[in-house]
Amino acid sequence: MPHENDDPTLPGAAPPGRGVTRRSFMQTLGISAAATSALGGEREATAAVADDTPVLGPGPVPITLRINGKPHTRTVDPATTLLEALRVDLDLTGTKEVCDRGACGACSVLVDGRLTVSCMMLAIDAVGAEITTVEGLARGDTLDPVQESFVRHDALQCGFCTPGLVMASRALLDENPKPTLDQIKKGLSGNLCRCGTYTNVFNAVLEASGQTPIADAEEAMP
Amino acid sequence: MSEQRDHLPTIMPTSNRPINAGAALDDDTARLDAVAKVTGRARYARDRYEPNALFAAFIRCPFGAATLTGLDEAAAKAVPGVVDVKRTGDEGRYHGEPVGFVVAESKHALRRGLRAVAPKWKRGSVKTTITDDAGPIPATEDDVAEAIANADHVIEAVYSTPVQTHSALETHGVVVDHRGDTATVYASTQGTFSVRDGIGDALGLARSEFEVRCEYVGGGFGAKFGPGKEGMLAAEVARRHERPVYVFCDRAEEHLDTGNRPSSRTHVRVGFAKDGTPLATRVHTWGGVGVARRGGGARIPSQRYDLGSVQKTHEDVQFNAGGPRAMRAPGWPQGAFAEELLLDEIATVAGVDPLALRRRLDGDTARRAMYDLGADLIGWSRRAKTGTQSSVVRRGFGVGTTSWPRIPARAEAEVVVHRDGSVEARTGTQDIGQGQRTAMGVIAATKLGVPLRLVTVMIGRSSYPVGPGSGGSMTLPNTAPAMMAAALDARSKVLEHVARRRGMEANELTIADGYVIRGEERLVGWEDACRGLPDDGVTGRGDGRSGAAHRGEGTSAGVQFVELTVDSETGVIAVERVVAIQACGQVVSRKTAESQIIGGVIQGISYALFEDKLLDRNLGAMVNPNLEMYKIVGSRDMPHIEPVLWTQGQTGVRSLGEPPVVPTAGAIAAAVFNAIGAPVRHLPLTPDKVLAAQEGGAA
Ligand code: FES
Ligand code: FES
Repeated sequence: MPHENDDPTLPGAAPPGRGVTRRSFMQTLGISAAATSALGGEREATAAVADDTPVLGPGPVPITLRINGKPHTRTVDPATTLLEALRVDLDLTGTKEVCDRGACGACSVLVDGRLTVSCMMLAIDAVGAEITTVEGLARGDTLDPVQESFVRHDALQCGFCTPGLVMASRALLDENPKPTLDQIKKGLSGNLCRCGTYTNVFNAVLEASGQTPIADAEEAMP
Repeated sequence: MSEQRDHLPTIMPTSNRPINAGAALDDDTARLDAVAKVTGRARYARDRYEPNALFAAFIRCPFGAATLTGLDEAAAKAVPGVVDVKRTGDEGRYHGEPVGFVVAESKHALRRGLRAVAPKWKRGSVKTTITDDAGPIPATEDDVAEAIANADHVIEAVYSTPVQTHSALETHGVVVDHRGDTATVYASTQGTFSVRDGIGDALGLARSEFEVRCEYVGGGFGAKFGPGKEGMLAAEVARRHERPVYVFCDRAEEHLDTGNRPSSRTHVRVGFAKDGTPLATRVHTWGGVGVARRGGGARIPSQRYDLGSVQKTHEDVQFNAGGPRAMRAPGWPQGAFAEELLLDEIATVAGVDPLALRRRLDGDTARRAMYDLGADLIGWSRRAKTGTQSSVVRRGFGVGTTSWPRIPARAEAEVVVHRDGSVEARTGTQDIGQGQRTAMGVIAATKLGVPLRLVTVMIGRSSYPVGPGSGGSMTLPNTAPAMMAAALDARSKVLEHVARRRGMEANELTIADGYVIRGEERLVGWEDACRGLPDDGVTGRGDGRSGAAHRGEGTSAGVQFVELTVDSETGVIAVERVVAIQACGQVVSRKTAESQIIGGVIQGISYALFEDKLLDRNLGAMVNPNLEMYKIVGSRDMPHIEPVLWTQGQTGVRSLGEPPVVPTAGAIAAAVFNAIGAPVRHLPLTPDKVLAAQEGGAA
């Protein structure tokens, strides 16, 4: 879970994810294997476990992930997390690995629109879902408003937490288009930044949601 | 989109920090690599998964002290995909010490191989804190002892700080792409050249035969110099197999074996006059250096305050833990924590305002003016006297100070002007998040007199001009004069060509706003002027010495004010507002400079309230080697932070990375004391300590 929020308007408060059971996953494979010859090898895989208790692995498993609107087919070790599949198998390295255990939010992606830490999800469980990564937010040269206001307010330093914070901010605004400062703080509480960009991130999210950034006190320099 | 287009400047004014308007050479340009970073296109070393790469990792000791009695190398080698297993030692002196390594074809095989080696250990006894082995305080000199004894008041107290890990989000690691007689080394480093100079032998290549690259670096904070053991392992394996090798620490390894801010213990005895003026101070500090021999210094006295005649002694104490490395202002936050809280304790005994006391003891002119500005901005007049509040939620105000010297280092730079008018600004130095790429671009464009969009900044490669590692706040103060000199050299070369073609004198001409100008007249546009250059353009060169006129002398002074509340029933501290006034000479890029200050404050808050590397006192193992139990400040703990760029009387480009992290924890501790009436002398300021202090006076 990316967030443990008590506020139902915030991401992470939704009921447990869609989840693909191994069984339904195998069925998915069966259908796709019948539909495309590129996945021919899967027919045997399906056949071999045609009884009621399908088992994946220990050998590599072919999967198709829909990422940023496009299908990608790879053969992966069944222990592969969604994060590893994105980074190692698909070379989509915008999604960062920092803690690899759900504590920092750097690996945040949207799975069927829901904010998800991809290090805590198996790649095989993401089959059939619509996955959006940080690479998929901009439309060509046009940045998502969240990205644009991050740039404006310098809501990044080393940038390693930034893809995760961008995704968490996007998910927050998708659910709550005009969050208060307090809601922003809660909504981003699953994301750690070591360089210390939080306060600029708040301003970026306020501005991306059409609100005024928090102004510092005005005083003439002596 | 090409990388260069990712670095195109965008002018994006903001108006939420009116006090800093006009403070910098460039107020409105967004960080040059911001677009690359928000789109995920920025590729860090950790993101280099080269085709056909091997993965390697260390086998590490899981206890504070243990002897390796068995290692099932055969079982590990039998794991599909495991390529090599090696034992390199038998003794683990701390949790995380390497005793061997595994090499595999994939991350999965590597993980399985590391499990399959199933090391057997015989545990030894451990020491885990400074107090396990601290020596006695050396004798106090007679005159100091006497001055203290004769003073009106004496405070004797012990302050302590925990081990803090750097916890950069990109862990330590290196990817080596070895091609037999050449190699490319992708490093997550604060020192491009320190990696080059340290890794050559392990690669089996001359320094001229490989290149180190660090295009983007996911933080460092002092722990990432040289190739590190990760880089040496990657280089050796790559050389042996002539294949790309990927070695990156996981989060636990990062906490255990990549350095830290050492723990400290400070014993102070100070004698002071009725009005709070210190007459003599005896300080002894201990620094916890783990298995290292040194590096535990705590900077108290800071020299920012007159503490009378001072005797200071220090001892580094070893125990079973990974050694320290420089961490953002090494030794200074530890010292400032004790010193700032001590000053507030003195002021309270003497019945004077702690800000007034600091004004009296601090001779720095810049800071004395900063005290006035900061007191106004934070609303110091609202501060209640220490120990006078009885409400459930109590409000506290604190102040702390900082300074940092300018440390000279060798730095060179190049500015190439092409015939099409495009410009390259080159330095081999690295951008670890501080904004070096942006600052270099701003300086080159400003000194050349052309719009920033014409300038491509090329940094982070060992084939570019040499420059310092990003430590000691050395990067910009040394590369700024070099880049200025290079840009001015390129400018005069361009002008010589223009003058020669037109039969003029070069010294009649200048460049501004993208035009060559004579007097008031715009003679020719930049791009047209460049068309007359030789085929290969012109190259301007500069070094720190030739740019000496632009060198900042003196220190970077600063003052921070904190307002917070303490819930006296739960002991929870909520920092509400921080005003951070910081001088750094000529500010180059406003936005990145503000971010440096904000980031320093945030790390200071984290240090003050949360961070603590905890070792099990029996096993010597770190109990929180992760990011859920090793707590780092998060969004919900954020105050409003106001960075103020102090420009008055500032010359040259001075240090900025370290100074803002120095005073924050001390100012917070002083504010907590102000709120609850009892000092909490041990970081982190957790609720249990706050409640204990409230109950029993000083804790
Ligand atoms: S890497 Fe997934 S939450 Fe930290
Ligand atoms: S910008 Fe470096 S960790 Fe957030």
